[in-house]
Amino acid sequence: MEFKPIQILYALLSLFIVFNYGMLLQGFVRKIGARVGRRYGIRFYQPYIDLIKNYTKRSTITHGIMYYLGPVFRLTGGIGLIMFTPLIFGSDIFGNFSFSGDVILILYFMFFGTLGMALGAAEGGHPYSAIGVTRGLAQTTAFELPLALAILSIAIQYQTLSVSEIVAAQQGGIMNWTLFTNPVATAAAMLAFLGSMMRSPFDVVLAPQEVPIGPPTEYHSSLLGILQTNRAIFPAAKLVLFMNLFFGGATSWWELVIKTFFIYMWSVFVGVVYPRYRVDQSIRWFLRIPLILGILAILLM
Amino acid sequence: MVAPIYIIAAALGTAFTLGLLHKTGKTLPYVLMTLALGLMTFISLEWLLAFLIDGQKEEIIYTAGFKPPFSISLLMGKMEAVFISIVNTMAFLGSIYMARDLKNKGVNSMLIYLLLIMGLNVVIMTRDIFNLFVFLEVSSIATAGLLLIGGRKNAVSAGLKYLIATGTIAGFLLIGIIFFYYYAGSLSLDDIIASKESWISVGNIALLLVLLSVILELKPFPANGWALDVYQGANPGIGAIISASSATAMVYVLYKMMPLASEAWNYVIIGIGLLSFVASNIAGIKQTNAQRLLGYSSVGQIGLAVAIVGMHQWLGSGLMTILLAMLASHFLAKAGLFWLAGIVNKETTKEWGILRNKPVLLFLMGTFIFALLGFPPFPSFFGKWELIMSLSDLGQYGIVSLILIGSLFEAVYMLRWLGYAIKEDKEEAVNFSIHWEKFLPVGIVATALYAAGYFFGWKSGYSDWYKYMPLAFAAALFLLDFLPVYVKNSITLLGMGWYFFEMYTQYTGLKFVFFIIFIGGGLLIFLAGYYKKGKRVGFYPLAILMYAGLALMLEASNMLEFFFAWEIMTAGSYFLIIRGKKSMTHALNYALFSIGGAFLILAGFGITQAGKDGLSLELLYQVGSMSPYVFILLAIGFMTKTASMGLHIWLPGAHAEAETDVSPMVSAVLLKAGVYGLIITMISLGNQFIGGINIQVVLAWIGVLTALMGNMMAAFQEDAKRLLAYSSIGQLGYVLFGLALMSHLGWLTAISVAINHFLFKAMLFLAIGGVVLRTKTKYMYQMGGLIKKMPITFIVVLIGIITLSGVPPLSGFAGKWLFYNAILEKGWYLQGAVLFFAGVIAFLYCFRLIHTIFLGQLKDEHRKVKEAPFWLLLPQILVIVGIMVLSAFPNSILKPLGEVLYSYFPEGALSWNDQLANSIYGYWDGKMVLYVVVAIFASVFLWALIVTRKSQKVKQFNIVYAAERPFRPETTHFAYNFFAPFKKALGFLVYPGITNFWNRVGQSTMAGADALRKIYNGNGQAYVLHIVLFFIVVYFITAGGF
Repeated sequence: MEFKPIQILYALLSLFIVFNYGMLLQGFVRKIGARVGRRYGIRFYQPYIDLIKNYTKRSTITHGIMYYLGPVFRLTGGIGLIMFTPLIFGSDIFGNFSFSGDVILILYFMFFGTLGMALGAAEGGHPYSAIGVTRGLAQTTAFELPLALAILSIAIQYQTLSVSEIVAAQQGGIMNWTLFTNPVATAAAMLAFLGSMMRSPFDVVLAPQEVPIGPPTEYHSSLLGILQTNRAIFPAAKLVLFMNLFFGGATSWWELVIKTFFIYMWSVFVGVVYPRYRVDQSIRWFLRIPLILGILAILLM
Repeated sequence: MVAPIYIIAAALGTAFTLGLLHKTGKTLPYVLMTLALGLMTFISLEWLLAFLIDGQKEEIIYTAGFKPPFSISLLMGKMEAVFISIVNTMAFLGSIYMARDLKNKGVNSMLIYLLLIMGLNVVIMTRDIFNLFVFLEVSSIATAGLLLIGGRKNAVSAGLKYLIATGTIAGFLLIGIIFFYYYAGSLSLDDIIASKESWISVGNIALLLVLLSVILELKPFPANGWALDVYQGANPGIGAIISASSATAMVYVLYKMMPLASEAWNYVIIGIGLLSFVASNIAGIKQTNAQRLLGYSSVGQIGLAVAIVGMHQWLGSGLMTILLAMLASHFLAKAGLFWLAGIVNKETTKEWGILRNKPVLLFLMGTFIFALLGFPPFPSFFGKWELIMSLSDLGQYGIVSLILIGSLFEAVYMLRWLGYAIKEDKEEAVNFSIHWEKFLPVGIVATALYAAGYFFGWKSGYSDWYKYMPLAFAAALFLLDFLPVYVKNSITLLGMGWYFFEMYTQYTGLKFVFFIIFIGGGLLIFLAGYYKKGKRVGFYPLAILMYAGLALMLEASNMLEFFFAWEIMTAGSYFLIIRGKKSMTHALNYALFSIGGAFLILAGFGITQAGKDGLSLELLYQVGSMSPYVFILLAIGFMTKTASMGLHIWLPGAHAEAETDVSPMVSAVLLKAGVYGLIITMISLGNQFIGGINIQVVLAWIGVLTALMGNMMAAFQEDAKRLLAYSSIGQLGYVLFGLALMSHLGWLTAISVAINHFLFKAMLFLAIGGVVLRTKTKYMYQMGGLIKKMPITFIVVLIGIITLSGVPPLSGFAGKWLFYNAILEKGWYLQGAVLFFAGVIAFLYCFRLIHTIFLGQLKDEHRKVKEAPFWLLLPQILVIVGIMVLSAFPNSILKPLGEVLYSYFPEGALSWNDQLANSIYGYWDGKMVLYVVVAIFASVFLWALIVTRKSQKVKQFNIVYAAERPFRPETTHFAYNFFAPFKKALGFLVYPGITNFWNRVGQSTMAGADALRKIYNGNGQAYVLHIVLFFIVVYFITAGGF
């Protein structure tokens, strides 16, 4: 497919929708969490208020160029992920730039923001930032393995690496979803998914209680605002990816919202139920059942 | 033509005259003796030339005017001329070397010296066995006399043991001669040979006694304790003569005797020779006394010569070339080393560090040791090559492996010794003086080694002048070594640049890729060379030697040329590596693994050419039923260079301790030589099975585990250069895996990873080298916050690690993307998953590298650090340009590569649409990805500029630090044991099992060596017992002499 200038506008539209969806998702989930805990909770639009507050703070400090570029890398990573992932199946408008690479590109591009953020945080000079980054990277190595196995498994299943083609193969009824045609791979991937969502039991990276608060420790005001923007976009993009790979994709925005909401809630439920692991524990955990499932997913193919 | 009898006449006459000159001072007798030796040398060389050039016929000299059996006859044939020339020339040089010693010891020593040499001459020429006995005794007694009158401590007891031992042997010999006279009725060798039929059935005991006596004179294991004591105790000058002249003469005597023996004897002689060769070299491993070490080596080399003589029926007309090639290296190098030992005058090998004060001597020592080890361009390289090839032709693979194993053991102690000389701490800065008369002979034999090397190369068909061109360039740089760095660097760049532009049109396909990596990469890294000041003694010739090897390897059209180039490269890189500050042991490890690998390659080539005409590399296509074995031998051989798991332990130290610009040479460039070898092997031999197991699957798993283990080890390093070194191991694991896939995409992956590795590793090693240069430490936890001081280096490292980790949009991603398509196509999913895991671990060490050095807290001692020197930065920036081009236009390299690979693997090729690559599974548009990412990045950056326009810069410790105010960077910079939780969880995977395994191999070899040499208890009676037992054992083995 050729690049057309109009696609820039389409891209901005996709970005706008995904961003707002991500913001609202955050707000609603916190609200639901509060209600389950018998509290009143925040207003669902609280994330917007926080974001505006951060962007409008008057004082901003910087520790140096890489510190400054960290959030830029991070947000580029988030937006890029959206741009390389086909959002709505069959839609040219919301396919964005997914013609420039397949699932491997997406898988590796996820690291772009992570790495840039890690570097930025590190220039802040705060030891907690670096500790958070090492924990995050260590944990990432562990959950990426079952995820990679699961993705390989479905690549073998569908004989393609193209996300659009994987979605296309799942059309025509719920029983065509990867969830049902390849349940083992889905299980492995969904367990790995838990690790990537920074929620309990795998939230030692941010460790809100004792390491205030992981890699973004030194970020504040508008730089934190950029990170928050990404925190709305990046998880949403990941949700879309998992939806595309395992849950039949979406042919409309409504379908996308419903599916990704439930995928998100999976990590929320688990997070509410299970207490946090230490990093070495979580590494071992990912290398047991999820890894075995991942290997099974390959062997069963 | 002067009759050969004058050799004896001159020696005897002068000896008698010397006896009268006791009172005339010492100079006149010395001059007379030297003149006599000179005359002897002249006569023998004259004969030799006559034989070689004029086709002189052999001549028999009848003494006393009667024909045998009534008189003694001497034969002057071509071989005799060769051997007496060797003996006399070495003796002549020895007399110059020993001028002071001989004068000090007086006229008697000169007289004895002359008699010794005369004895050896007669021993070579005589055709009468009793006469042989007599002159053997003359030389034995003369040798003992020379030992007694001067030498190291224990010289007297050594001389006594020598007398006892040779006396015993002589006794047996005499009995044997008596038996011969009884059975054959003659003492003339020719008569005895002629009447072989009549006595062979009854005279076997005579044969046994005579043959074994001659062999025992050649000091076979284990009946050679006396000889080792002699080598250790002798004056180095005498040691040289015993090792060079006497041993060489005795080898010829054995050769002369061979027609007497029945065929069955050949096996016994081969057995004895090989046993000596292997056992002495093992026993030598523990040795610390330099001269005794040389003794072990001499005994070993002569053992090999004995074995070669035993192979005379197998080798046929090739025998003499092989034997002489081996002997030439032996006697020239061994004499040189003995003489050096005299100049250095230090007992233990460790004390040879003082040799560094005299670079020329160090160079000579290197020459001698590499000549002994059979490296090109020395004679023994060609000798060994011919020998292994001939033995392979006969299917004698057992003997081939014994020879190679023995040679490897010899390399252990020889190179350790050389390592001490180059690197061991000097105890005191002794500036010892050299007398010209001691230096001259050493220089002459070294020159002779090179000349002989060329001669034997010519004999083996390796003589084209242009194949020596790169070596000549290295030699020229050696002569220009007194010039400052910038001149030599410019000459090097000009020379290599000329070669580059001359040759780059000559290569196509994969060779072209490797040409760019080897020579282009070399040029790039040499650019950095300008950062050094001063002279940088010895660097340029050695670096060029390595590149010469690489260049010749690409030019090689047959196996000999390939192996020649391979060894040249190994030698050059060994010397480059050992230049590092703490590189002694690492360089030794490197050399041993390389030599071991080279021997496997040699064996593989041997099997390949067995029974075929010529040596062309094309023969690898038609190996036949042996091909799985050839494949395994070659693959393991080349994998020692790519440092695949199990064979990797040399790499981290070697690469990490090397100098700033040597690290990228040996990492980015040199490792690819192994890749090139693997490619040749796989292209020509294809997919191989052994016992139903697909070897490629095994290789793939080795690649996978190498990548995993390398990357994980890299994540746990505290030393930045070691981290990069382990990372190289990991990356080469990817390459090996890709090659093992044996598919279009697999190879495309492998080669693009190799190219990328070349780019980013050259860049990273130079960048980190610059940091180490400025901060004076390699430990990352001692650094931190250097981004403020070295911003350009930081950017280089940033781009380097993004490329390394394969994150889009940079070119490293190409390798990752290709790799997934390749494993999907091949169906090796599990291997692929482990490799993916390894790839993620790469993030760990990449982050560690950049964080702990450049980010975090700047240390107080680094507040005045400057950016790396311009000349180090320049090549890095050039590489960045290259990476950017490859990232934006991936098809500029992948497409032509695909076309090249199409001829080997037509299936599964990518289809290209501008920069969009399509495989059967996926697609990837490098240019588009780069554009999208750059566009997003620019927009977000703009956004950030807008929202943070009022930001102000703060000082280092202005951080949110839980109510404390940090003030020490050391306590605030998180860097040490960086991935502690990861290590806790998965550290068990990198338990150093392989290192421990090789350590145990080393220890048990040492223990074995120690056990073996226990038989040498220093007791003369025990030594005599050994000799007697030797007779008895061989008597039983041969059932009374066949």
